[in-house]
Amino acid sequence: MRPMTITTSMDHMATRTRGFSRRRDVRQVVALWAVLTVLGVVFGLFVPARLMGPPASPTMRGIEDTMTVFSVAAAPVAAVVWAVALYSLLVWRHKGAGPPETDGPALRTSRPAAVLWILLSSVLCVFLLVWGLAEMGSVATAGSRNNPMVVNVTGNQWVWTFDYPDKGGVQSDQLYLPVDQPVVFHVRSKDVIHSFWVVKMGIKVDANPWEVTQTSVVPNKLGTFDIRCAELCGLLHADMETSAHVVSGAGFTQWLQAHGGHA
Amino acid sequence: MSSAELASRSGCKRTEVMHDDCRTGKGDTMSEAMVKHGALPTAEGGGGSMRHLNALTAVAGGVALAALGWLISHHFMQTDDPETSDQVVLITLGCWAVGFMAGIGAFAGPFRWLLGNDLTHADEMHLAGKDQGVGRYFRFTTDHKVVGVQYLIVTMVLLAVGGTLAMLMRTNLIVPHSNFLGPQTYNSLVGLHGIIMVIATIIMVTGPFGNFILPIMIGARDMAFPRLNALSLWLLVAAVPVLLSAGFMGGIPTGWSAYAPLADQATPGMDGYLMAIVIFAISSAVAGANITTTVLTMRARGMTWTRTPIFVYGVVASVGLALPALPMFMAAQVELAVDRTMEGQFFIASGGGSPWLYQNLFWLFGHPEVYVIVIPAVVALMELTPVFARKPLYNFNAAVLGIVGIVGLSIMVWAHHMYASGWAPDLNGPFMLTTEMISVPTGVLFLVVIGTIWRGRIWTTVAMMSVYAMLWNFIIGGVTGIYLSDVPADYALHGSMFVTAHFHYTLMGAGLTGAIGALYYWFPKMTGRMLSERVGFVSFWLVQIGFNVTFLGMFAVGLAGQPRRVFTYPHMFATGNFISTIGAYFIGIGMLITLYNVISSWRSGLVAPANPWGGKTLEWAVPNPIPLANFEVLPVVISDAYGYGEGDPQPPHWRADPHSPATPELVPAGAGTTISDTEGSPQ
Repeated sequence: MRPMTITTSMDHMATRTRGFSRRRDVRQVVALWAVLTVLGVVFGLFVPARLMGPPASPTMRGIEDTMTVFSVAAAPVAAVVWAVALYSLLVWRHKGAGPPETDGPALRTSRPAAVLWILLSSVLCVFLLVWGLAEMGSVATAGSRNNPMVVNVTGNQWVWTFDYPDKGGVQSDQLYLPVDQPVVFHVRSKDVIHSFWVVKMGIKVDANPWEVTQTSVVPNKLGTFDIRCAELCGLLHADMETSAHVVSGAGFTQWLQAHGGHA
Repeated sequence: MSSAELASRSGCKRTEVMHDDCRTGKGDTMSEAMVKHGALPTAEGGGGSMRHLNALTAVAGGVALAALGWLISHHFMQTDDPETSDQVVLITLGCWAVGFMAGIGAFAGPFRWLLGNDLTHADEMHLAGKDQGVGRYFRFTTDHKVVGVQYLIVTMVLLAVGGTLAMLMRTNLIVPHSNFLGPQTYNSLVGLHGIIMVIATIIMVTGPFGNFILPIMIGARDMAFPRLNALSLWLLVAAVPVLLSAGFMGGIPTGWSAYAPLADQATPGMDGYLMAIVIFAISSAVAGANITTTVLTMRARGMTWTRTPIFVYGVVASVGLALPALPMFMAAQVELAVDRTMEGQFFIASGGGSPWLYQNLFWLFGHPEVYVIVIPAVVALMELTPVFARKPLYNFNAAVLGIVGIVGLSIMVWAHHMYASGWAPDLNGPFMLTTEMISVPTGVLFLVVIGTIWRGRIWTTVAMMSVYAMLWNFIIGGVTGIYLSDVPADYALHGSMFVTAHFHYTLMGAGLTGAIGALYYWFPKMTGRMLSERVGFVSFWLVQIGFNVTFLGMFAVGLAGQPRRVFTYPHMFATGNFISTIGAYFIGIGMLITLYNVISSWRSGLVAPANPWGGKTLEWAVPNPIPLANFEVLPVVISDAYGYGEGDPQPPHWRADPHSPATPELVPAGAGTTISDTEGSPQ
C-alpha cells in the first residue's frame, strides 16, 4: 500500500471521476436515470394522493403530503437501480445462445460509489425521520387544542356505537361531528379487538376490550365519510362499517336536540 | 479457464449426447461391483429396526397413537365444557406427532444408545440412504442431499396448497358481495393461506438449498449433525397434516396473526394452528442450530470468512435470526393453548393477562420473520448474479455488512406493527427510527447487485431474469414499506389492503422470486437435469406480470380505504379488486407451469453437465451424480469464488487437500470423475 496524502487521493479521485463521466455507457445510464426519475416524480406527485381521495381533515392532508413527498424522494433512488438494470438488459446483455465467451471486467469495489451510496441513503433516512417526527407532533396536538369535544366510540361484533358524554349522553350508530371543531375519541370494545378507522380523516386506533385508547382530529370538510373496522374481528368484520357526517355547527345542535341531547 | 471447464460448459448446449445411464446406472453398478469384491462394506445387516421404518409406518404410527389419544381423552374428559373439545384436539394432535416421529424412526437412535447398542458404521450407511434408490426419500435419511430434496418437495406442496387457497380467496373477491365462499369459509381461508405461506416461505430457500447446496458449497461431506437434519425435516412433515387439519375443524378465523381475544373464541381449528406452530418451531430450531454449527465448524480448509460465498452468509443470517425469533412465537402459542384449555389467562385481560403481550410476542417473531424469509432469497440471487454477469460480486464486504445490519436492526422494529394498537404510543417515534434505518443496509444490498451487473456480460437465463424481477419488485416493496414506517401515514394505511400488497411485494416479489431463481440455478446440481428454459420463461413472464397486476391493483384499493381480510367490499373498490383477481389467475397459471416444468424436467429433462453455468463455488466442482460423501478428496480453498475476469486462464480458487482424510468407504467409487480431473491440476 502506497501512503497517500489527502490531497493526492482527492486528485486521484477527481481524475477517475472525470474519466468515468466521459464514458459513453455512463452518460447513457445517467440519461436513462434522469428520464426514470422524472417519470417517478410525476407519478409520486399525482398518483398516491389522488388514489387516497380528497382529505377531510388537516391530518389526512398531512398524510397525503407525506405520501407525495416520500414518493418524490424515493424516485431518484429507485431510478438508479432501475436505470442500471434496464441499461444492462438493453446494452450489456450477452446475445446469442449459450454462455458468454468472455468475462466482464473484474470490478471488485469502488470506494467513492459505496461511500456516496451509504451517505445519501443515510441522509434520506434522517430526512424521513425528521419529517415523520414533525408530522407526528402536529397530529398529536390536532384535537387537544381549543377545548375539544369528547366522543366515546364503542366497537362490538360487528357495529360501532357513538355517545357524546358532555352533550346529554346522546347515543347513535352514526357519527355526527360539527365542522372545524376539534374532537377527541375515547375508543373501547365490548368483545374482541376492533380498529376504529375514519378513512378520509386519516385516523385509526384499535378498540380494545381492556383499555380505552384515544385519537383526535379536526374535521374540516362537510360531507359523509366512511368509518370502517381495520382489525379482523370475526365473522362479519367486512360489514362493520358506518358513516361520519360532518355538518355545520347549527346542524349539529339540531341533530343533538332531535336525539334528546343539548349543545 | 481450463479446457475441462470449457468442455463442461459447452456440454450445456449438447447435453443430449450424454446418456441417461451416466446419471444413475453407472454409479450403482460400480458400487455393486465394489461390494462384490469386498472393497466396500455392504449395507446388508445395517440399519436394524430402521430397515422396516418409512413414511408409511410413520403415518400408521401417527394415526394409531392419535386414535388412542383421542379414545382415552374423549373417554375421561366427557363434559359439555367447550374447553374439553380443545383439550381432546390438542392431545390427539400431539399424539399424532409423537406417533409419526416414532413411526419414521426418529427415536430409534437415542433408544439404541440408551440400551448401550449404538449405531454401527453399517447402520450409519443405511441411515445415509446408501443404495436405497427412491426409497431413501421416504425414510429418516441423514444424507443432506436427500434432506434437501425432501425439503424442496414439502415446500412445493405447501406453496401449492397455499396458492390454491389464494385463488379461492381472489375468486370470492372478483365482484362485490359474491357468495362464492361466504364469510365463515373466507375468514378461515385467510388465516390458513397466511400461515401456510409463512411456513412455506421460511423454509423455501434454507430448506432445499441450505441443506442440499450449502454443505457442498463450503466443502463439507455432510451437515454437522446429520441425524438432527433428518429430525428437522420429519418434524416439519409431521406438522403439515396438523396444520391442514385446522381446515377441517373450523379453520383459522383469526388471520395468521391469531390475536387474542379473538383466538380464544375461535373453533378447534385454532388448536391445529398452534400445535403446528409448536412443532414447526422445534423443527426450525433444530435445523438452525445444525446449519449454524455446520458453517462455523465444517468449512473447507482455507475457506476464511472472506472466502465464504455470500449465500452461506445469507442462510446463516436467516436461520440465526430464526433461532431467537421462533421461540417467541412458540411461547405465545403454548400460552394461547393454556388459555384455551386450562383457563390460563395469559392473554385474557379480565383475568389479569394482556392481549398486548400476545401482540408483542407475535411481532417479536413476526418482524424478524420477514427477514428470515427475504434475506436468503435475495442473497441466493446475489450468489448467482456474478455467475450470469461474469463479474466478481461487487463489494463483498458491503454485502456482508448489509446482511449483518439488517439482522441486527430487524429484531428492534417489531412494534411498528402496533402503532395503532394503543400500546405505548411514546414508543412510536423510536420504532419509526429503527424501521427507517433498515433502509440503509437494505439499500447496500441493492448497490451490491447493481454493482455486479454493471458492465457485465449478462446471460439472461430464467435465474438471472429473477434477479431483475427482484430489483423491480423489491424496490416497490421497500418504498411502500417506508410509507408504512411513517407513524401518521400508517394510521391511514394500517390494516388496509395496502399493507397486504406491500408485504406480498417483499415476501413474494423478492422472496419467492428469489427462491424460483435459486431453483433454476441449482436444479441441475440437485437432480442432474436441466429445467427447461423455454417453459421457464413462459412461467416467469406470466407470474411476474400477473403478480404486478394483482398487487398494484391491491395498492390502489388499499389507498382508497379497503380493509384487509374482508370477504366483501363496497362497489367503490370493484375495479381494483377485479383487476387483482385477473392478475392472480395469471400467477396461478404461471405457477402451475413452473410445477409442470419441475416434474417433467426431473423425469426427462436434458441431462445436466457438472457445471452448466460456469459457476466457481464448490458445488459445481463435484460430479453429477454427486457421490454420497460429496468429495473424494476434500478441497483446500485458496481464494474466493468470484474471480471472474481476473487473469486468463484463471487459476482455480481451490485445490485438493493433501491432508484430506481418505474415506474411500464413503464414496461409491467410480460414480464420477475425481475433482482433479474435473478442474485440471492446479497450476
